[in-house]
Amino acid sequence: MRGARNSGPETPVSSFDGSALGADAGDPVVRLFGSLRPDLLRFAHWLARDRAIAEDIVQEALLRAWRSREALKDQAAARAWLLTIVRREHARLYERKRLELVALDDAVEPEGMPSPPGPDSDLDSLRGAILKLPLEYREPLIMQVLGGFSTVEIAQELSLSSTAVLTRLFRARNKLRALYGLTPAPDDPETEGAA
Amino acid sequence: MNHNEARLLIGADPRSASAELAEHLKTCPECAQFQQEMLTLDESIRRALEQGPLGMPAAPVASVTPIASARSSPQRKVANTWSGWALAASVAVASVLVIWALHPTNSLARDVVTHVENEASSWRSTEPAPPRVVSQILADAGVALDMGSDKVTYAQSCLFRGHRVPHLVVRTARGPVTVLILRYETVKDRMNFHEDGMTGVITPAPHGSIAVLAQGNENVDAVAQQVQSSVRWLDAH
Repeated sequence: MRGARNSGPETPVSSFDGSALGADAGDPVVRLFGSLRPDLLRFAHWLARDRAIAEDIVQEALLRAWRSREALKDQAAARAWLLTIVRREHARLYERKRLELVALDDAVEPEGMPSPPGPDSDLDSLRGAILKLPLEYREPLIMQVLGGFSTVEIAQELSLSSTAVLTRLFRARNKLRALYGLTPAPDDPETEGAA
Repeated sequence: MNHNEARLLIGADPRSASAELAEHLKTCPECAQFQQEMLTLDESIRRALEQGPLGMPAAPVASVTPIASARSSPQRKVANTWSGWALAASVAVASVLVIWALHPTNSLARDVVTHVENEASSWRSTEPAPPRVVSQILADAGVALDMGSDKVTYAQSCLFRGHRVPHLVVRTARGPVTVLILRYETVKDRMNFHEDGMTGVITPAPHGSIAVLAQGNENVDAVAQQVQSSVRWLDAH
């Protein structure tokens, strides 16, 4: 079984010049896709928690996007459009290979560690804590904070009610509050069920 | 809006501009404090997500070493136990003060290094970036670059600490250097640093700051000075 470990920062970020699409590198759409690739890769990496898988997801997503590029009427909407395709590609992969995506308890620090000494350690601990969030909480959080999606957009994309999305976002942040030494707010487990 | 609804909304979206929430916050200091805490936490979440999940687990705080403080580290041996303890104590106090004083800048340097590491392929570009793309990226950030456009081999508008910033790789006589134009990151003084085989400097600029990094250990001050004088800040931005 393949563990969902993070690859190191030395892992090369493959470039995107359109050759994989059989397209001209000077094509405006190829340039647009290439300019957004770092964002897509970061987004996919947070979802998949594995650099190599994230690379595959982005590559596949860009191929899909290229094939349906006619649907992209407004270039200003390209980032959100591509992020949505990446998310769906990850969901497809997750459904196919969910048994391979194991928890990374052995790759990140344990939750019960002593308080970190400074802001940089806080940030690293936070990165570890975000990675350990269950996908149902991590995904909407990443979509909101990194992707810039609204609650309504996330609800549409995840086929959830807005209330359910609010609850998941609340719970995601509430779990991260504890890491910051803040008292977690009282949770309301009824909320999502009522949505 | 009641207390629980306010908490849910703040926790789900600390930046919510809901009129109902604003009304509730006027009369509920507890929720107002909860919102402040969540906004602070959310800023950290944003920074953490922008860095990407690379390099876990956490790297040590001092992984970015300011050259000045590294050079001033005490190395000499002590003659007796008492003076040794006294020196150790004073060094510890001094170190805490230095870390406290340098930390915000270190944090910026570290974010810069992490960002560049996440786009490692940028160093390998050799062909000039399309001049129109370079101009557009710079114009979007309110700057122009007074240097031959053929020298820019990589140009992206990158998300960095919540803002879009120009990320360029420029060919120079000493090899490629990375330039990040950080309009929204103010620094008081220039700061040199080493990290993961990269040498860099962040210098104050008329609007924010400019980070220049090169691979290897060579000093980049001269290149940074060239870049600094080549960047024109557009007032209309």
